[in-house]
Amino acid sequence: MKSMKQTMNVIWMTMKLQMKQSFARPMFRFCLLINPVVNTIFLYEMFLNSGEDNFMAYVVLGAGLMGLWCCICFSSAGDINRERFSGTLPLIYVAPEGFGTIIFGKICGNTLISLLSFGISYGTAFLLTGKSITIQYPVKFLFAFLTAVTCFVIVSLCVAYFLMLSRKTELYMNLLEIPFELLCGFVFPIEILPKWIQYISNLLAPTWAVRILKESIAKNNMEKETVYYLILGVEVLILVAIAVILYRWMDRSIRKKATLEVS
Amino acid sequence: MKRFLKQSWLDFKGQRAAFSLEEFALMETMYPFVTMVFYCLVAGYAFRTTNLSRWVVGNAFLLCTNTCVFSLGSCFMGERYYGRIRSIITAPISKLEVILEKGFFPCMICIITTFVGFGAGSIVFHVNWSGVNIGLFLVILLIGMASAAGFGLFLATLGLISNQMHLILNLVANLLVIFCGANFPISQLPAAGQLISKLLPLTRSIEASQLLLEGKIAFEQVLSLLLGELGVGAVYVILAFCVVKSAERVAIRKGTLELF
Repeated sequence: MKSMKQTMNVIWMTMKLQMKQSFARPMFRFCLLINPVVNTIFLYEMFLNSGEDNFMAYVVLGAGLMGLWCCICFSSAGDINRERFSGTLPLIYVAPEGFGTIIFGKICGNTLISLLSFGISYGTAFLLTGKSITIQYPVKFLFAFLTAVTCFVIVSLCVAYFLMLSRKTELYMNLLEIPFELLCGFVFPIEILPKWIQYISNLLAPTWAVRILKESIAKNNMEKETVYYLILGVEVLILVAIAVILYRWMDRSIRKKATLEVS
Repeated sequence: MKRFLKQSWLDFKGQRAAFSLEEFALMETMYPFVTMVFYCLVAGYAFRTTNLSRWVVGNAFLLCTNTCVFSLGSCFMGERYYGRIRSIITAPISKLEVILEKGFFPCMICIITTFVGFGAGSIVFHVNWSGVNIGLFLVILLIGMASAAGFGLFLATLGLISNQMHLILNLVANLLVIFCGANFPISQLPAAGQLISKLLPLTRSIEASQLLLEGKIAFEQVLSLLLGELGVGAVYVILAFCVVKSAERVAIRKGTLELF
């Protein structure tokens, strides 16, 4: 019990430190504060004459998701590399609480602060139109939102471990942003993509998280949503397994080759 | 000229040395293309249309922002980080020449990327080029790129007076997406937004190429848009010159070039 409390304490302290460190970086401030504003303006102007019902919700949701993903790509994914260049990676790697716990805390901190992008998108949309957004089932939306956030935390963890194996993090960070927004249907439904791309999209957990979020805004199709939750659950479990395997493989490789700071 | 090319090649090799050929191709060609596809799909869904010609053309123009904004704009960031900026400031050559050296090969890559973007986008989204004056279109494209390069030059000089270049460059790239008329008509924007779009490069080139594609353009109109585009590019080059001179003076007087 004490150990659990200690672990939670480490995660909380890492989250706080990470939020402060992230906010100090200009690129993160761009992702968090400016990106949601420009994305909201862009999507608002694009969807202005679309005839979409409740289009403001889609604009805010789309811009918020893009902001959240941008923060994940340019912070959560790149944090290990930043630690490497600062020379602190070996220190956190051998910390008594465990490297996995610290990385989890960093990602949770980043994700928590990144949620601000939804608020900024909403504020921008409100300033643009003076209209509020209709969410017919708030409790369902809240649950869907928390599910989506959990999914993004797990995805970030996998991406962070994956990128730890390479020094070309900057390249991969940039390459991850738009393709995921396209494949996971952040802004438009994936059904407009060619069939073979839809198969790839369906393999990605964020696609189902986004579907659940969009379903929860105005529709009430419990049967469909249950299927989405089940698929998302399975994909998240697979991602957790991938994260564990990646971590063990990376750990073995680091200890065998002693290349933590150079690989 | 020999020194110019040698320096350009050295800088280009230095920037790209860490990447394999596949990674380089992915970054310079595939990624901009996927970005263009993304914006075209958003447009197709939002405007409920399958005729995406105007968006292919508009977003293909924006492909060169990757080079003009990011490659040119970030050229002093690395120099500051690696401690070479003092040598550059005190060297008896024009700082604009230094920026051009750094931008020369990325610009060549940018031209290839833009053409690949046009080609691939035209195939994927079935753009109909029949009846379009290709020669005139190429002239519009080259003038648009020249103007964007002038803008990139100006952004690069901001690297001498600010350490927030990541933020500035990403903001500018996003502003270009919104205000250049590549994705939605500028007339949709409020008056202030329309004024901003007039001050940015590429707006007039994109308008001219979209009109050309729709077969609605007169010679006088294209001439006026292209002259406007060249004028905007020239103003940014002059601004870049002024900022460089002022940054040099401030750097020498205060000695804080590497400190902020």
